[in-house]
Amino acid sequence: MRELPAVHAELLAGALAAFLAEELRASGLAGYVVGLSGGIDSAVAAALAVRAAGAGRVTALALPGPTSAPASLEDARAVAGSLGLALATVDLGAPARELAAVLAADGDRVRFGNLLARLRMIALFDRARQLPALVLGTSNKSEILLGYSTLFGDSACSVNPLGDVWKTHVFRLAEQLGLPAFLLDKPPSADLWAGQTDAGELGFDYAEADPVLYWHHEQGLDREALVAAGFAPALVDRVLLAYRRSRFKWRPTVVARTSASCVNVDRILPRNPER
Amino acid sequence: MALAQIATCPGQFQHNLDRHREMIARARAAEAQLVVFPELSLSGYLLAHGTLEQAMAIDDPRLAPLLDASRELPMLVGLPLREPAGGIANAALLLEDGEVRGVHRKLYLPTYGMFDEGRYFVAGTSLRPVDSRLGRLGVLICEDCWHPSTATLLARQGVDALVVMAGGPSELDLGDEPAAAGRWRWIVGATALTSVRPTLFVNRCGWEEGILFGGGSWAVDARGRDLAGPAPALEEALLVAELDWQAAAHARTLTPIPEAERFELWCEPLDRDDA
Repeated sequence: MRELPAVHAELLAGALAAFLAEELRASGLAGYVVGLSGGIDSAVAAALAVRAAGAGRVTALALPGPTSAPASLEDARAVAGSLGLALATVDLGAPARELAAVLAADGDRVRFGNLLARLRMIALFDRARQLPALVLGTSNKSEILLGYSTLFGDSACSVNPLGDVWKTHVFRLAEQLGLPAFLLDKPPSADLWAGQTDAGELGFDYAEADPVLYWHHEQGLDREALVAAGFAPALVDRVLLAYRRSRFKWRPTVVARTSASCVNVDRILPRNPER
Repeated sequence: MALAQIATCPGQFQHNLDRHREMIARARAAEAQLVVFPELSLSGYLLAHGTLEQAMAIDDPRLAPLLDASRELPMLVGLPLREPAGGIANAALLLEDGEVRGVHRKLYLPTYGMFDEGRYFVAGTSLRPVDSRLGRLGVLICEDCWHPSTATLLARQGVDALVVMAGGPSELDLGDEPAAAGRWRWIVGATALTSVRPTLFVNRCGWEEGILFGGGSWAVDARGRDLAGPAPALEEALLVAELDWQAAAHARTLTPIPEAERFELWCEPLDRDDA
């Protein structure tokens, strides 16, 4: 069986912290703002930001909605405590319910989940404007490749240290960064409705999906080669379907080019020019 | 000779100039007689179309502080060089005694994978030594060194040492050091041994636009012995290498490998009708 290569977590953690330090320096802003869900991705991202900028320059928000598990808030508090961060809670329950009613979305848990994810985005970018700070991304490579995110919701951020890190390796980073052990045992979940888990929705877990994605996306094995390599055909088909369907989220916007100076086509420019 | 491994920021000229000033001061304190900076050290690497904003003509007034400093300490710096007839070269300038004493224009512009240099630069058209007060230098820029012909051609033109100014990016998926570090040790080591010339490898470190540069600057003598470094992967560093021209000449006398190069063998298969 072909496996996902191991990661050197110490090297990776040090380099990703240096990335966040440089992005902050180059932006000239005051720090990072991160939403702590109580899960492992946001905990690792926050720990990297603390290592890069110090706890005094990292603002942590808990953003519970009406359907969030109460344990998530406790877990977020434990993560914040372990990193020396104060955790401010912004309760999105009432606005989420109100907006869902206005949009007549309250009967549809996927629409309601997307709405809540985008309200969290609003809260984070609002706080970022106030500080001013960069919004810290928490999406990992596995969920990006599978499209397991809400466009302009949890996928929205200023900078993302984990977007090229496999979920399997996020666990190794959590260990390396000394985060609370319960994060390693918790089933990954977007926590948008009661009982939701990533594996329940995707039909596979990341330990199964990551090697398939690695050997397809990075090493170029096609479906037949993956099956010949020993991966279960049903797993391969599910993973590759999600991988193909999610492509539009990797590049969320397409601009119609009508000139020879189209931004990001004819004019790809560094993000942080001299101020 | 001093090897200045710095982290630059694309489009932040003042920041990059400050990195040069600090390293020049350190090199002077170490009594170096030449200080070498990495590829595109004044502009940063991931400029994309920002190359147009950052490009400098050879008489650009922004070079004045470095030309002044070169009266005390000659230096090799990297920049996008605006050519009088149009086009921009990825160039290295030798600044000495307040003048531009030599230019090398990168010959091999990587345009594959993550690289897009062919989109923004025009390639150099000749490979000549750069003569400094210290001796005759063979200057190569990054990818130039991955083509073994370059070092051999410079060796045949009698250079005393080879200087590789690099902006080598790296992945973090191959063990306990940036993946590119090991590749560069093979390349630089082989360059020194096959050209029988002391070889200085000066690489970027740090992050630009989400791309990590792998550092590992290193000086090695004509027989493969370490003269300085390798420098750490992730941090800025100033290495000082003591070069012994007499020892290098003696090594060449005993091991005249480039002198034996049969260039006609390179041409023969290419000149054949069926090639």
